[in-house]
Amino acid sequence: MDKLINLFVSSGIYQIQWGQAVMIVVGLGLLFLAIKKNFEPLLLVPIGFGGILANIPEAGLAFSAVENALHLGKPELIAQIGQALGIDSVDPKVIKQAYASASHSAHNAAAAVAMDGGFNNGMLYNFYLVAIASGAAPLIIFMGVGAMTDFGPLLANPKTLFLGAAAQFGIFATVLGAVGLTALGLMEFSIQDAAAIGIIGGADGPTAIYVASLLAPQLLGAIAVSAYSYMALVPMIQPPIMRALTTPEERKLAMTQLRPVSKTEKIMFPLVLLILVAMLLPDAAPLLGMFCFGNLMRECGVVERLSDTAQNALINIVTIFLGLSVGSKLSADKFLDINTLGILGLGIIAFGIGTACGVLMAKLMNKFSSTPINPLIGSAGVSAVPMAARVSNKIGLEANPQNFLLMHAMGPNVAGVIGSAVAAGVMIKFVG
Amino acid sequence: MNSSNLINEGLALMGFGMGFVFVFLTLLVVMTTLMSRLVNRFLPEPVPVPAKPRAAAAPAAGAGDQEQLVAVISAAIRQYRSRHKQ
Repeated sequence: MDKLINLFVSSGIYQIQWGQAVMIVVGLGLLFLAIKKNFEPLLLVPIGFGGILANIPEAGLAFSAVENALHLGKPELIAQIGQALGIDSVDPKVIKQAYASASHSAHNAAAAVAMDGGFNNGMLYNFYLVAIASGAAPLIIFMGVGAMTDFGPLLANPKTLFLGAAAQFGIFATVLGAVGLTALGLMEFSIQDAAAIGIIGGADGPTAIYVASLLAPQLLGAIAVSAYSYMALVPMIQPPIMRALTTPEERKLAMTQLRPVSKTEKIMFPLVLLILVAMLLPDAAPLLGMFCFGNLMRECGVVERLSDTAQNALINIVTIFLGLSVGSKLSADKFLDINTLGILGLGIIAFGIGTACGVLMAKLMNKFSSTPINPLIGSAGVSAVPMAARVSNKIGLEANPQNFLLMHAMGPNVAGVIGSAVAAGVMIKFVG
Repeated sequence: MNSSNLINEGLALMGFGMGFVFVFLTLLVVMTTLMSRLVNRFLPEPVPVPAKPRAAAAPAAGAGDQEQLVAVISAAIRQYRSRHKQ
C-alpha cells in the first residue's frame, strides 16, 4: 500500500499545479491552431509541443540544474547553492531570484554545486542554451531566408526600399506604446523589454527572437509566440487596413513592368549591403551578415550544394530546435503573467501601424514618382515574406483582375526584412 | 524608474531609430542604383540573346533528328565506357 501511495505522490496527477495545467492547454491550443487552422505550422507545432513538454510536472525539462535542485533537492544542497551565490537564505524562492541576477562566475559556481548534487539541466533547457541563448538558431535561419530570397524585384525598382523603411514605424510606435503602458502603471516594462516587444511589429520571427534573446530573455516565449501568430494572421489583419486607407481608383493602379536584372547585379547586391552594414551599423552585422551570406551563396551559382542545404535541410533542422527552445519558455511561471497579455495586444497594434505606414508611404511616393506606384504594395513593407506580398496581390486583383502586383510587392517585402534587421541593430545599439 | 524619463527614452529611441532606418535605406537605394548603372554599363549581360534561338530550335526538331540524337548519345556512352573500364 505504501508503495502505491508513493507512486501516486510522484505522479503527474498529484504534482500538477494549476499554472502548468493552463499552459498544457495553451500548448494544445497552439497545436490545434497549427494542425487544424494551418497557422505557421512549421513553427507552431514544435513550439506548442515544447510548451507541453516544458510543463510536465516534476520532469523539469525546461529548467536548469540549479532550478531543478532548488525544486527537488535536500535542504543541505539548497543551502550550499545559496552559499555559492553568496547569500545566507535557505528559501528556494530567494535563491532563485539571486540566481537569476547573479554574475556569470556565481552562476557557474551554483550550477557546479547543483550538478555535484546529481542534478542536470533539463533537455529543453539544453536546447535553449545551444539554439537561442547562443544566438545561433535565429542567425542560421536568417542565413536560410537569405538563401531563399530573390532580390530581383528590389533591384529592378530600388525605390521600394523606402516602403520597407516606412513599415518599420510600427516597431518604434510599439516601443512608445509599451513605455506608455508602464508610465500609466498598467504593466511593467523596462526600455529593453519595450524594444524587444516592438520588434514584433517587424513581422520577422527570427529577428524578434534574436533581439528578445539579447534584450529581454524573460519575455522570449511571449514575444516569439505573438510574432509567429501574427505572421500567420497577416491575411486577416492587413486587408481591412489597406482598404480603409486607399480609394478603389488607387487600388486599380497598374504598375509598369519590372526591368530584367542581370546576374552580376544580383551577386553584387549582398556585397553592397554587407559593406554598408559594416560601415554604418556593426550591431546589425550578425543578422544582416548571415542574410547576405545566404543570399550570396544563392546568387553566385558556384555553391549550389551549400545554398541548397542552407535553404532546405539546415533551416528545417534548426527550426525544430528553435521551436522546441521557444516552447521551453512557455513554462507557467514565465508565461502566465499580465505582461503576456500586454505583449499580445501591443504586437497586433505594431502590426497594424506598420501596415498603415507602408500604405501611406506608398501613396506619398506615388504623388512624386514618375512611374505609378500602387499603394497596396506598401503594406508588404512589413517583412512576413512572402505572405504580405501575396496579400497585396490579392487585394489588387479584387480591384482590377488584370493587375498582378505580386512581383512589385516582393520588392518592399524583402526591403522589409532588411529594414527590420536594421531596426533591430539600432535597438541593440541604443538599449542593449 | 521615473516614468517621464522612460517615455523620453522611448521617444528618443523612436526618433533615432526611424531616422537611422531611413538614412540607411536611402544610402542603400543610392548605392544599389549606382551599382546597377555601373554593372549595366561595364558588364552588360550577354545571355538573353543566344537563349532564344536555342529554345526555338528544340521543339522544331523532328522524329528523325531525335533518332539521330539517340544514336549519337549512345555511341558516345559506349566509347566513354570502353575507355574507362576498371
